[in-house]
Amino acid sequence: MGEIATILHDYGLLLLVGQYPSGALGGLALTFILAVLGLALAFPLSVLLALARVSPYPILYWPATALVYVMRGLPLIMLIFWVYFFLPVLLGRPVSGFSTLLATLVIYEAAYLAEIVRAGIESLPRGQMEAARSVGLTYMQAMRKVVLPQAIYNMTPAMLSQFVSTIKETSLGYVISVNELTFAANQVNSTLLTKPFPVFVILASIYFVLCFSLTQLARQLEKRVARRRAGIVRGAAAPAALPQIAAIAE
Amino acid sequence: MQPLDFSILLRDDAPQMLVNGITLMLELTGFAWLLAMVLGTLLALVRMGRSKLAEGAVGAWVEYHQNVPMLVQIFLWYFGIATLLPSGLQMWMNRHGGEFIFATIAIGLASSAYMSEGLRGGIRAIPPSQIEAVRALGLNYLQAFRHVVFPQAFRIALPTLINHTVLLFKNTSLAMTIGVAEMMYATREIESRSFKTIEIYLLATAVYLGISLLIMAGGSLAERRLRVATR
Amino acid sequence: MRKLTLASFALTAAALFSQAAHADQLADIKQRGTLVCGTLGTAEPFSYPNPQTRETQGYDVDFCAAVAKALGVKLELKLISVPARIPELLQGRVDVLAANLGWTPERAQQIAFSDSYFVSNQMAAARRADKLKTPADLSGKRVAAAKGSTSEAGARKHIPNVQTVSFEDTPSIFLALQQGKVDGVVISELTLVAWKKDAEASAVPIDVLQPALFAEPWGIGMRKGETALISKVNEVLAGMEKSGEAQKIFDKYLGTGTKFNLHRTFKIEPIKG
Repeated sequence: MGEIATILHDYGLLLLVGQYPSGALGGLALTFILAVLGLALAFPLSVLLALARVSPYPILYWPATALVYVMRGLPLIMLIFWVYFFLPVLLGRPVSGFSTLLATLVIYEAAYLAEIVRAGIESLPRGQMEAARSVGLTYMQAMRKVVLPQAIYNMTPAMLSQFVSTIKETSLGYVISVNELTFAANQVNSTLLTKPFPVFVILASIYFVLCFSLTQLARQLEKRVARRRAGIVRGAAAPAALPQIAAIAE
Repeated sequence: MQPLDFSILLRDDAPQMLVNGITLMLELTGFAWLLAMVLGTLLALVRMGRSKLAEGAVGAWVEYHQNVPMLVQIFLWYFGIATLLPSGLQMWMNRHGGEFIFATIAIGLASSAYMSEGLRGGIRAIPPSQIEAVRALGLNYLQAFRHVVFPQAFRIALPTLINHTVLLFKNTSLAMTIGVAEMMYATREIESRSFKTIEIYLLATAVYLGISLLIMAGGSLAERRLRVATR
Repeated sequence: MRKLTLASFALTAAALFSQAAHADQLADIKQRGTLVCGTLGTAEPFSYPNPQTRETQGYDVDFCAAVAKALGVKLELKLISVPARIPELLQGRVDVLAANLGWTPERAQQIAFSDSYFVSNQMAAARRADKLKTPADLSGKRVAAAKGSTSEAGARKHIPNVQTVSFEDTPSIFLALQQGKVDGVVISELTLVAWKKDAEASAVPIDVLQPALFAEPWGIGMRKGETALISKVNEVLAGMEKSGEAQKIFDKYLGTGTKFNLHRTFKIEPIKG
C-alpha cells in the first residue's frame, strides 16, 4: 500500500498529463481527449451510416452494412495497424500516432454508434414516420425533424456506454506508441523495474474510477429517458431496456 | 505501388507461424469461452439468490471487469498477479505456456462478467409467476433453474451472448502483447521479417473476419432453431 | 444539434484535406524551424523521463539537441516504440531517429545511417540462479527481445535452436526474465548494466553471459536520398568528436560517476559494412 502511495507521489503527474508542459500532453489527459474527439467526430458519420442501414436503396444499404460488419468482425488492434500503415499513404503526408489512433477510433466507433442509432430509429413506433409523412414532410425532413431527434435522445445512455468503451479502447494506443495512460504506466515500469504489480493496480484503478463514474451517469440517464418515454404518469413502470440495446452496448 | 506478392507467406517460417498462430487463437478462444460461460452462468445463478453479500460481490466483479480495459487486465494478470503466486507454481506455469494460461484467464474472466449480465437480463425477463408455479409443483430451486428458467433465459439472452462471444474472439488478438504467438503476433512477426505488410495484413483480416462472421451466422442459426412460436 | 453536426462535419473535412509534399528535407526543417527527433523515451540513459520534470532526457536526446542547435532550429522530441522506429521515419512522421538504432544490412537498405555516434554490444543475460555461462547455454530455451529489433534477429542468428519471444517494449522484457517467463534476454549492454544493478537489490539477480553476441554501431536514422541532411548531420557529429563534446555527453550519461561506470572505447566514424 505504501508502495502505491510512493509511486503515485513520484509518478502521478506523469500518469495524469504525460510530459506537459515540458513536452507533449500525455497520460490520462490524452486518453480523455482521444475518447472525446473520437466519439465527437464519429457521431455525424454514424448518423449517416444508420440512415443508410435503414434505407430501402441497395446502393446505400449494402456498403454501410458491409462497413458495419467489417468493424464488428475485425479486432481493433488489427484496424490500428491497417490505419497506421495506410493513412499516410492515402494522405501522401506524415500522420502522427495520435492522428492514427484518432482516425481508427472514428471509423470503429462510427460503426458501433451507427448500430445504436439504428436501434433507436427502429424502436420508435412506425406511426411517427407515417404521421410525419402524412403532414407533408419528405422522408429526409421527417427523419431530421421527427425521428432522429427522438431516436438519439432515447439512445443517449447507450451512447454514453459507447463512450466508456472508447476510453477503454484508447489503451491500445500503447502498441503504436501513443503517449496515453497505458504507455505512461509502462514508462514508469521501465524506470522502477521491480514494482509491476503496484503500477498496474494504479493503472487499473484510474481507468476504473473514470469508466465506473461514467457508467453510473449512463444508468442515471437511462432512468430519466425511460421516465420520459413512459410519459409523466405517476407510478408507471419504466419499460425494461430493449434487448437490442443490451446486445449492442458493451 | 508494387504488385502484391503472396508467395512471401509460403517461405521460411511463415507457414509454420501462421498455422501455430491460428491454432493458438482458436484454442485461446475456446478455453476462454468455456471459462466465461461456466463462470457467467454461476454468477447469474448467485445473483438470483437472496444473499445481499453475494449480490454485492458479484456486482463488484462485474463492474471491475466492465470498466477496466482488456489490455490492462491482461498486463495485470501476467505481470502483476502472476508474481503473487507461490514460486513453485510460477515456475511450473512458465515451463508450460504460462502466457497462454494467463491470457485465457484474463479474457475468460472479463467475458464472464458480460455473459452473466446477459443471462441476468434473460432471467429477469421471465415472469416470476413461472418460478412460483414450478416451485408449487414440487421442484426445488435448482431444478426450477435447470428445467424452466435457464433454457428460456438462455434463449432470450442469446443475441447478447453471441455478441460477447465475437468480442471475446477479437480480444484474443491482445494476447500478443504478452508473447502469446497467436494470429496477431504471427502477423507482426512476419511483417517485421519480410516487410510485406499488405499481404500479411490481408490474410490476417480475412481470417479474423471469416471466423467472426461464422460465429455471428452460427448465432443467427441457433436463434432461429430455438425460437418458440409465441402468440 | 444542427450546429454541432455541421461543426463535426467541418472538423472531419479539415482533418482529411490537409496539404502534402515536401522537397529537400534540410531546407524544410530550416524553414519549419523545428527538428522532429524520434526517440524511445523508455531507454535509460539514452532517452528516459527525468523523474522531477518529466522531461525526456538522455544520450540520444543530447545528440539530437546538438544537431538541432547546429541547424539553428528548435528541437521537438517524439516518443516512439521500438518496432515503430523505421516506419515512423519512412512515413515522414519524424525527421531523424535517435532511438538506439543499430546498423544492420536489412535496415541499411531501407534507411540511411549517419556515422556511428555510439557502439553497443548486444549481450545475452539470464538469472543468476540458473548458472548459465555463455550465450550458447541458451540453446533450446526461451529468450526475450524487443519486437523487430536487432537483438531479436541477432539472437536467432547467433544462438542455435533458440526460441525467441518478442515483446512490444523493454519493461515487458525485463519483467518476463525476472518472473521466470523466459530463460534469457538479448539486449544492449547498456540497458543490461543499469538493469543488472537494479536487479542486484531485488530477489532475482541476473548475470551477463560472455562473450558479447555481437557489436552494433548505432547511427542517427534518416531517409535515403536526403543527401544534404545526411552530410550536415555527419558534419555536426565530426565536429562534436573533435571538440570533445561527444566525449562529454558519453561521460555525462555513461562514464565514471554514473551507475554504468564505462569507458568510451569508440570514436565517431562512418559505419562500415
